[in-house]
Amino acid sequence: MRLGRSAASYQSRAVLVQYLFATPQFVLFLLLTIVPFFVALPVLFTDQANYTDPQIHHVGFANFTALFTDAGLQAEYLPALRRTVTFVAANYLMIYIFGLSLALLMYEIGFRGWFFTVVYLPLMASGFATGFMAVMLFSVSTGTANLLFLKLGLIQKAIDIKSGTGTSIILPILVGWRWAGFNMAIFLSGLLSIPRETIDAAVVDGASYWQRLIRVYFPQMWPSFIMASTFCLIGSFGVFDELVAMGALYGGNEEAKLLSVFFFNAAFRSDRLALGMTMALETFLPLVLVGVFMQRLQRRLQY
Amino acid sequence: MSVSKTVAEQRARTILAYSRRKQLLKVIGTAVMVIYALVTVFPFYVLFIRTFVSTKDSTELHLWIPPARELSMDAQIGNLAVFYNLDLKKVKEALGIPQTEFLQSRITLKQISEKYNIPPEKIRSYFAGFYTYNGWITLLSGLDFWCALGRTLLVTAGSLIGLTILSIFTGYGLAGLKRRGQMIIYNVYLLQMVIPAMLIILPQFMIVQWFVRLLPGYENPGFLRSAVQILAVVLINIKGGAVSTMIMTSFISAIPKEIEEAAQLDGASQMQYMRYILFPLLKVPIASLVVIMLPQFWNQFLEPFVYLDQNNTTLLPLIQNLSGVYSTNFQILYTAIFVSILPLAIVYLVFRRFFIEGAMAGAVKG
Repeated sequence: MRLGRSAASYQSRAVLVQYLFATPQFVLFLLLTIVPFFVALPVLFTDQANYTDPQIHHVGFANFTALFTDAGLQAEYLPALRRTVTFVAANYLMIYIFGLSLALLMYEIGFRGWFFTVVYLPLMASGFATGFMAVMLFSVSTGTANLLFLKLGLIQKAIDIKSGTGTSIILPILVGWRWAGFNMAIFLSGLLSIPRETIDAAVVDGASYWQRLIRVYFPQMWPSFIMASTFCLIGSFGVFDELVAMGALYGGNEEAKLLSVFFFNAAFRSDRLALGMTMALETFLPLVLVGVFMQRLQRRLQY
Repeated sequence: MSVSKTVAEQRARTILAYSRRKQLLKVIGTAVMVIYALVTVFPFYVLFIRTFVSTKDSTELHLWIPPARELSMDAQIGNLAVFYNLDLKKVKEALGIPQTEFLQSRITLKQISEKYNIPPEKIRSYFAGFYTYNGWITLLSGLDFWCALGRTLLVTAGSLIGLTILSIFTGYGLAGLKRRGQMIIYNVYLLQMVIPAMLIILPQFMIVQWFVRLLPGYENPGFLRSAVQILAVVLINIKGGAVSTMIMTSFISAIPKEIEEAAQLDGASQMQYMRYILFPLLKVPIASLVVIMLPQFWNQFLEPFVYLDQNNTTLLPLIQNLSGVYSTNFQILYTAIFVSILPLAIVYLVFRRFFIEGAMAGAVKG
């Protein structure tokens, strides 16, 4: 009896020690990722203008309803929302145009190390550098790609990176180019996990390539699709670095003002901190919930 | 007999056709790969060339370094100084003009040549270098650039080392727990993946400000302020996440328990076991972690931009600040961008095997 109890207490002490090892990083994580939300919660009900605002008044739910009642705010917010959604949709398309097709190419003709190396290379450039490269290639008068396409006769008029096209088409292409290797790795690992027999069986039964893709490959790659989608969704809603490089903050590029730029400006530049935080929460909370749901789905499919 | 022969013939023909098609596919596929690879490298190539293209020439297409334009001797020294970001002291020194002389900004090169008796060729050859290498000269001669590069290295190295050590602790701790205990903590780490960066940083900045203000003397610019700001960025980087936790936990869980038991029987403490037995076994997961996180830390923009003062920034925020100063001189900005990519690209190309393995490992684990 005594022996049993001391063994149990020894074991529970051992478990405690294990938790203790995981503690330093976990405390840091909680302190910098989870706790801030709770600290910020009271701020949402005030008119705190910036991080050093000495005079703070309680305003109730005004920040929460501002989005639906304040016309001036809507005139700023809604275009940003529209641009963001367009950008996310275009960006989502790019993970298939780049990631999936490259993964299929690699899968069908065999793994090529040199090709992987080249496709993965753009990920070494920062998002900030990617935005700069977009300007370098597609600035109206000095963009190298513009000048090249004009010379080759591919386009009649130079593309303007500071226009709607720049943010909704050119930038997603460059972001897709940058993340191509990453998405390719996700899809390729999905493809490689498909049992070879199922593909051989489909070939023997005379299935065409498209039939094999839709009936054999894709249904067995669900975890990859969900994972790539989650990354793309969260990443592109939060896109910021690229936009700053394209002049969203100081360059006067109105079309590059997406939601994250709007929230950044509210908090750090235009003295609307509490309002900005509230709106960021209102906008991104549904996204976080979708993200959590997708992660659970992915895990259920994987194991 | 004849039936089976035709069947065999047909099968042989199908296999032949299949293998022929496969071969054709390989040729076409390889061609597509080569074309895509060229397209992928193109922006980097253009960036490299544009570091040598003067802003004056940038409205023309340049796929190779353009020759320097003939310098007009009617150019005014003031304009040149602004355009090439010249230090007039250095100009005087190079041309042999006494430092006591005052150069009016409207004075032309011709007048300088006549007034100080300097051959025009000497003046031309001095300015010719600036035409092509203006970006490189201005960037590399600036102290700000080297300081920012040093801070980037500091943040990156500090974050990598800190994250590796903390993640090993986390992995070891979680590996000793049952699956349920592991998942509770892992699920919290997973949250980080689905929270957009801009949503986190607004309240996070608030809590960090609250902590740093507790330090006496933080408000005054100085070493303490700079160090604390850099420490804040490093702490944010090493707080861990799903990827680091997953890589370490899954690898350490796979190490046989008998090894630790044997070490315990020999009288080793847990810390000694980690230091002398576990750590040397972790080369593979540490390599994966480093190659996944290195580009993220090196290319980090938002956190340094928000947390660091302008005189204390890393490379990318510095470039953002420069883009305000040199808004008409793209050459310098493109050079700075190129320089920010170059070190990481070299590391990547040298250690590409590890990067590819890490990418595939990360893709499987999520």
